[in-house]
Amino acid sequence: MIGRIARKEMTEMFRDGRFQLASAVVVILLLASLGAGWKHYSDLKTQHETAQRAERVNWLGQERKNPHQGAHYGVYAFKPKSQLSMVDTGVDPYVGVAVYLEAHKQNEFKFRPAQDASTSIQRFGELTAAVVLQILIPLLIILLTFSAFAGEREQGTLRQVLSLGVGRGRLATGKALGVAGAMSVVLVPATLVGVGTLSLTSMTGLLAVDVSRTLLMVAAYGLYFLVFLALSLAVSAVSASSRLALVALLAFWMVNGLIATRAFSDLAGYLHPTPSEVEFDTALQRDLADTKALNAKLDVIKVGLFQKYGTSTLDELPVNFRAISLQEAEEHGYAVFEKHFGDVFDRFEGQNAVYQWGGVVSPLIAVRSISMGLAGTDFAHHRHFTVAAESYRRTIIRSMNDDILVHPTKAGEEYLAGSELWRRVPEFQYVEPDASWALSHYTTSLSLLGAWLVAAAFVLSVALRRINV
Amino acid sequence: MRPLGIAARIARHEWRILFSEQTPWLVFLLLALSIGYAVTNGLHWVEFQQTTIRGALNEQAQRYDGLKQQVVDIQSGKQRAPFADPRMPDAVGGRLAWTYAALPPLPLSPLSVGQSDVLPYYFKVSTASRESVLTTNEIENPHQLLHGRFDLSFVIVYLFPLLIIALGYNVISSEREHGTLALLLSQPVSLTTFMAAKIGVRAGLVVLLVIFFSLLGIVVGGVNLTSSDTLARLAIWTGIVAAYGAFWFGAVLAVAALGRSSATNALALAGLWLVLVVVVPSTLNMSVSALYPMPSRVDMISALRVASKDASASGNRLLAKYYGDHPELAVESDVQKAMNDVAVTQLAINEEIERQVRPVVDRYDIQLGRQQAVVDRFRLLSPAIVAQDALNDVAGTGSARYRHFVSMVEDYHRGWQALFASMIVGKQKVTPAVYDALPQFQYREEPFDALVSRIAAALVFLVFAGGVLAAIGVSRLRRYPVAG
Repeated sequence: MIGRIARKEMTEMFRDGRFQLASAVVVILLLASLGAGWKHYSDLKTQHETAQRAERVNWLGQERKNPHQGAHYGVYAFKPKSQLSMVDTGVDPYVGVAVYLEAHKQNEFKFRPAQDASTSIQRFGELTAAVVLQILIPLLIILLTFSAFAGEREQGTLRQVLSLGVGRGRLATGKALGVAGAMSVVLVPATLVGVGTLSLTSMTGLLAVDVSRTLLMVAAYGLYFLVFLALSLAVSAVSASSRLALVALLAFWMVNGLIATRAFSDLAGYLHPTPSEVEFDTALQRDLADTKALNAKLDVIKVGLFQKYGTSTLDELPVNFRAISLQEAEEHGYAVFEKHFGDVFDRFEGQNAVYQWGGVVSPLIAVRSISMGLAGTDFAHHRHFTVAAESYRRTIIRSMNDDILVHPTKAGEEYLAGSELWRRVPEFQYVEPDASWALSHYTTSLSLLGAWLVAAAFVLSVALRRINV
Repeated sequence: MRPLGIAARIARHEWRILFSEQTPWLVFLLLALSIGYAVTNGLHWVEFQQTTIRGALNEQAQRYDGLKQQVVDIQSGKQRAPFADPRMPDAVGGRLAWTYAALPPLPLSPLSVGQSDVLPYYFKVSTASRESVLTTNEIENPHQLLHGRFDLSFVIVYLFPLLIIALGYNVISSEREHGTLALLLSQPVSLTTFMAAKIGVRAGLVVLLVIFFSLLGIVVGGVNLTSSDTLARLAIWTGIVAAYGAFWFGAVLAVAALGRSSATNALALAGLWLVLVVVVPSTLNMSVSALYPMPSRVDMISALRVASKDASASGNRLLAKYYGDHPELAVESDVQKAMNDVAVTQLAINEEIERQVRPVVDRYDIQLGRQQAVVDRFRLLSPAIVAQDALNDVAGTGSARYRHFVSMVEDYHRGWQALFASMIVGKQKVTPAVYDALPQFQYREEPFDALVSRIAAALVFLVFAGGVLAAIGVSRLRRYPVAG
């Protein structure tokens, strides 16, 4: 019986010109956005890999010089694009693409793509596959379901159907399956194309795709669509007319997709204000310049060394004291940078936590957060890369200073190192964290998405009992 | 009775019905809340910008005072590492006395955040290369940038049309569905008059309320409205809002005149809104970046690295830079002399690097120019783009004013570089008097006429498009299926 109802619903939809038009538009937009995402991804991936290799060549090709000059020459670290960024570009346009790793300072990421591509319509946002999935597909679901019950009631067929002894639950399940079936005709090919494109982008095929991230993303969007499906059916069941059902659902769709995201984002900014760059930099420089503790520590070390080696001049030490002083200065810097960058990053994460609670009124906020996390294009991943780059910077500097340490020089002399030292610094390798790490930042969103599903199912069951025949 | 009198009576009647349904109160509440929140957000953002700019200038003044004090100290015999010597023009123009160039927000900037959160509103100008000066960033949570702001122009561009649609989608279809339309038209009144009165009441209600609450927000928020420039801008702003509203009422009329059911009208209008406000702009964005992809900065960084390596290899800079970083290693007097030569060599190197990287850097501007040209060609596809651009423009957060600002900063930066180059080559020492005489960046507003001519085009388009839609609607009304 359920199967028959579902078939009837699907047949009706496929014959409906509105459905044909709307789904054709959605499929075209979805494929176009995937295509654009794929092109963008593959362009950038090549560029970043080439540049990172070139940086390695630059580093290894340094002439003979003092290791500390090598540390000043430094290396650029380029943030790799994640594969799923072709589905959801997330914050990628709004974070810098590269960071300069050099002695004495932890730099900020520079070159935000959005700043370069600042045409006057840039803030309308770009059409990504994620936008289609988060905003347009729910609208398609509403379009397909708002008259599921209300329309039948207006035509007088609802009473007939129910008088035949069809259970309300069965009727609803059948209708839901019908809509879901019609939607899968739209979505399944698109998903296959998406996954196919993903696997094409990696030379080694399907295996190289992060399968768990991809599957989880498909599941998250699936749940999101189910929420809309159940809510739309429920509203259609209890509304006095299909017109009112449509208006109510459209209002919810607007709040969900349009108003809540911005409203909560601004609210988060009030609760965890971001400092200005001037403020940040002034405080940072003040702490960096405060070297009293550092100097005291160096004096203690110096006296200790003098005692240990029984001398009283730096020249007679078997180690190069300059290396110690350089390294200690770096350690002083590490603590200061960690404090200041850590503070700003924690504020961002605080803002994102507030924003996630917006999922209470908007399931889109929940699914958007999860989607970005899985795509590896959220702030958490950016921070993860920042930390990895910073720790590589420390590796470089440590290697340089260690080399200076074992090459003591007399006044007026200079120690020069060559390619054997440059080679001793390992190549920068960044490993993207796994899916469970990505999701661990979105427990709020995951719970809220689950809660929406439970609530929608509950509302639907209540609505079916109160259905207005 | 004259048609005008009839229209007025219908309008009065309509008003009473709307009130009995509590519609005006709901509209009132929705607008008060959203506009209140939006204006508060805008004011908050502009205040943040102003505080930051004030803080920056303050920081600069203190830094300059400190540097001048150091010069005095050195003159009275105190030692100072040469790379941080506040008398050496290369150190002063670069790492010591760099200065801020800021774009001050206008009094109406709280109305539209525009791109002011993505594009830096102040630069740290020094003798460093143009690229490193112009690529500074304000610290911001990228998630916040992605979501965008809930500002007044968002309310106008996105929500205002929805309100118009909600008030108008069943403007005559409901009369027909209730069976009252045929009865009504048996009276001596034309459908056009009837429709005009109904739409007029709704337009009056929502357009006036939007403008009223916006003005209220501005006044309560303490925006300084004393200058005639601000008042003129406010008038233009109001005009844009009214014209954008007119477009959407035109669309409502055109759809209503098709004679379909209320539900179909609602769907058609929501679909139109979706296409014009969301799909067209974001698809245009996507197409523009697919057609003219912005080269990644990664390429520029690589070019810069190669260029600086080549240039450095040809100078005696390496040893010098080494002493510059670690002056404690050299004998004082030698360093003093070396530093001068180094500074001159460095100047030459920097120039060489800029020359080599120039073609790579120019690609960004060229590509942005191409992108914007496509946007300009297709912007008329969406009145939302036209309205958003115009609102940004008049609020002072649009791209034209920003380009004007950047080109002023570029001039200022070139002047700054030239000034210090001449001091370095002339082996001149920086004295406290020179500090006081350093040029300060002053933003000069672009001429008002330029703004007016840009916006006039937008206004004409919106009114024209709305008028065409309304005309189509009125002509279709003659064939309206009154008792369908």
